[in-house]
Amino acid sequence: MVSSKLRVWDLPTRVFHWGLVSSYVAAWLLRGDQYLHLHVLAGYLFFFLLLFRLYWGLAGSFHARFSSFIRPMPEAWEYLKKAAGGKAPRHLGHNPAGGWAVLLLVSLGLMISITGLLTLGVEEGHGPLAGILEREWAALFHASHQALAWAMLSMVGLHLVAVFRESMLHRESLPLAMLTGYKRTDTRARTENVQPHAAVALALLGVMLGFSLWWGRGYLLHSGNEPYLPFSGPMLSRNALWEEECGACHLAYHPSLLPRRSWNRLLTQQENHFSEDLYLDAGTISRLRAYAVTGEAGNTVTEASWKIHNSIPAAKTPVRITETSYWKNKHKDIPEKLWTRSNIGGRHNCTACHLDARQGWFEDGAMRIPFNGKNMTRIM
Amino acid sequence: MAIKVNRRMMSAIFLVGISCGLIVTAQASAVQELLAEYGKEGAGKYNAVNGENLWKRVQVDAKTGQKRSCVTCHTNDLRKPGKHARTGKLIKPMAPSVNADRLTDKKKIEKWFHRNCKWTLGRICTPQEKADILAYLANQ
Repeated sequence: MVSSKLRVWDLPTRVFHWGLVSSYVAAWLLRGDQYLHLHVLAGYLFFFLLLFRLYWGLAGSFHARFSSFIRPMPEAWEYLKKAAGGKAPRHLGHNPAGGWAVLLLVSLGLMISITGLLTLGVEEGHGPLAGILEREWAALFHASHQALAWAMLSMVGLHLVAVFRESMLHRESLPLAMLTGYKRTDTRARTENVQPHAAVALALLGVMLGFSLWWGRGYLLHSGNEPYLPFSGPMLSRNALWEEECGACHLAYHPSLLPRRSWNRLLTQQENHFSEDLYLDAGTISRLRAYAVTGEAGNTVTEASWKIHNSIPAAKTPVRITETSYWKNKHKDIPEKLWTRSNIGGRHNCTACHLDARQGWFEDGAMRIPFNGKNMTRIM
Repeated sequence: MAIKVNRRMMSAIFLVGISCGLIVTAQASAVQELLAEYGKEGAGKYNAVNGENLWKRVQVDAKTGQKRSCVTCHTNDLRKPGKHARTGKLIKPMAPSVNADRLTDKKKIEKWFHRNCKWTLGRICTPQEKADILAYLANQ
């Protein structure tokens, strides 16, 4: 027997495999609200890699093509039974069960991508599917996106078990083969090397790198004193009098953050505005009221306003945004010592962590807990 | 090298001069008018020293037991920015010498007197107190 190596996996297939692993892990780790911009980048790369894999399953080299590894279901079942008994024959490319696993993983990945785009579009109002459906649908898409990600993680678990078993069984490292592309020759199978397709792999990497740079261009090119906001919210109404009168003492909270009845109550009770007497004249009050009411009318334009409004029972008229159950729930994990820190100051100071509070957007990606001035450590 | 003052520069200088003059006048007129009104409301001759004393006088709030004075938010140096005692919001300097917008709008002055006297002293200020404080602030 000729003891020699054979190139089984072409370069694009390997780039796809490890790129998919990296983007999946990155998206998983960056699942927190404040990392949304990077989570979405990982998601786009993940989606792009999967689409490429579909193309490469038709146009790639021999072992990358679906036609070489999609076997009838019973054959896959037969293989699994043999594998359980430790007698599975060696396959140079994907084994019959592995072939189906590839299809299942790719399908799960595509569904994750699509539900991710739907969540981004319907819940956040961003991306190519921005606003295609009412926000009521967002919870469903978001939950499916998470459930599918877990489903894929469990499939990955099975995949790892299978890879380990098969590596032990045939005394060859399958992960190493996916890195180098080479496996031991098998006389019963095809004996030619597959084409490396280095140019395709280079193009694949180039597109991903280029897209990532374009996506992150704002971080690199942004200058000025205002922080960079990766996501811009919808156009919200602005009013100079509102900014001046409310903004004299505190953040001029955008009217979209509380319902009309709350603004009416606040402006009616101006003699006791959180134990201060505002002493605004009737004309100013009515102009502020008119603005609050029109601003409120568009209350479902941002995710934050929609969720705040939905969390207020019809019989309640909160005078603080921090009274609403959505707000409370969203901030429940923040420790008390963080609220009282000097560069945060209290629950009223949205701007301390929400870079776009002044605009009234409260985008997920614009949230960050500021560093502690003293020792530059993050409390959470 | 002699600086040639051409016509455009002349008019620019003229315009800047006019604007500065207008600001000073606006401030002076708002303060003067208010002082006159406080006089009609019963205030005697205003006294900047009394104003300063009142500005710095510490009062204990009946409800909360907090010590309060104008300095609480505006700090000891009127030419420096202050900080809202409850919200931490930045307050622009009070001294007209560094913040030309100050004391130019009668309605605004009255609004803040009302709002802040109530918070600091627990009552509105008398015309005499307002006249004294105004006289004190106008010279800063």
